[in-house]
Amino acid sequence: MSKQEVLSWTSLATSTSVLVFYILINFGWPDIIPDYSARAVKIFFNVFWIAVIIEIIVEISEGNKKVQKDERDFIIEAKGLKVGYSILVIALMIALVQVFITNLTQNYVPDLPFTLELSTIFHFLFLALFSASAAKRAVMIYNYRKDY
Amino acid sequence: MEDGVITNNIRKLRFNNHEMTQQELADEVGVTRQTVNAIEAAKYSPSLELAFKIAAVFELPLEEVFRYKSLK
Repeated sequence: MSKQEVLSWTSLATSTSVLVFYILINFGWPDIIPDYSARAVKIFFNVFWIAVIIEIIVEISEGNKKVQKDERDFIIEAKGLKVGYSILVIALMIALVQVFITNLTQNYVPDLPFTLELSTIFHFLFLALFSASAAKRAVMIYNYRKDY
Repeated sequence: MEDGVITNNIRKLRFNNHEMTQQELADEVGVTRQTVNAIEAAKYSPSLELAFKIAAVFELPLEEVFRYKSLK
């Protein structure tokens, strides 16, 4: 496994962990399934720190190698970035339209549905940011694994 | 839209060249060992520059290292 592939795995793990923590802290565990929140927090806490430790070890052990990243890594990264960028743009468009609708309706029809609070838009953009990051890394891992 | 596949005989050339390892070839051309492995397995088509560099390592013209096979 190349350095860039390992870093993709660790980044996917940290992004997913942050997403899970954020959802649990802000929205709690869903009521429709049995409560495993304590176990989930424990698992993703371990996943997060293991990923960080692996990343540090890889940086130290592979840091002196002549080639850190080559043309194949750049091509694979570009594929991941394309997906991540698309997710971000779609999320931004939704947020912008929502802000526009909210401003418009607040001036004329205050009780109309489809209006959002600022905190909801913040949650949405935060989740979109980390989802885009996780999707980018997942696409990169898929392309790295596809070669074997 | 893939009309063809780029094959190569890098593995054979490495073997004939003092059993050069993938890592040694990678160091010579400035890529990672995983990229050399992907090229050898015809799962990654190198850039023209990298293809020329690999051919230069074996002191052969490009067409003796890489071949294009049309699937049509």
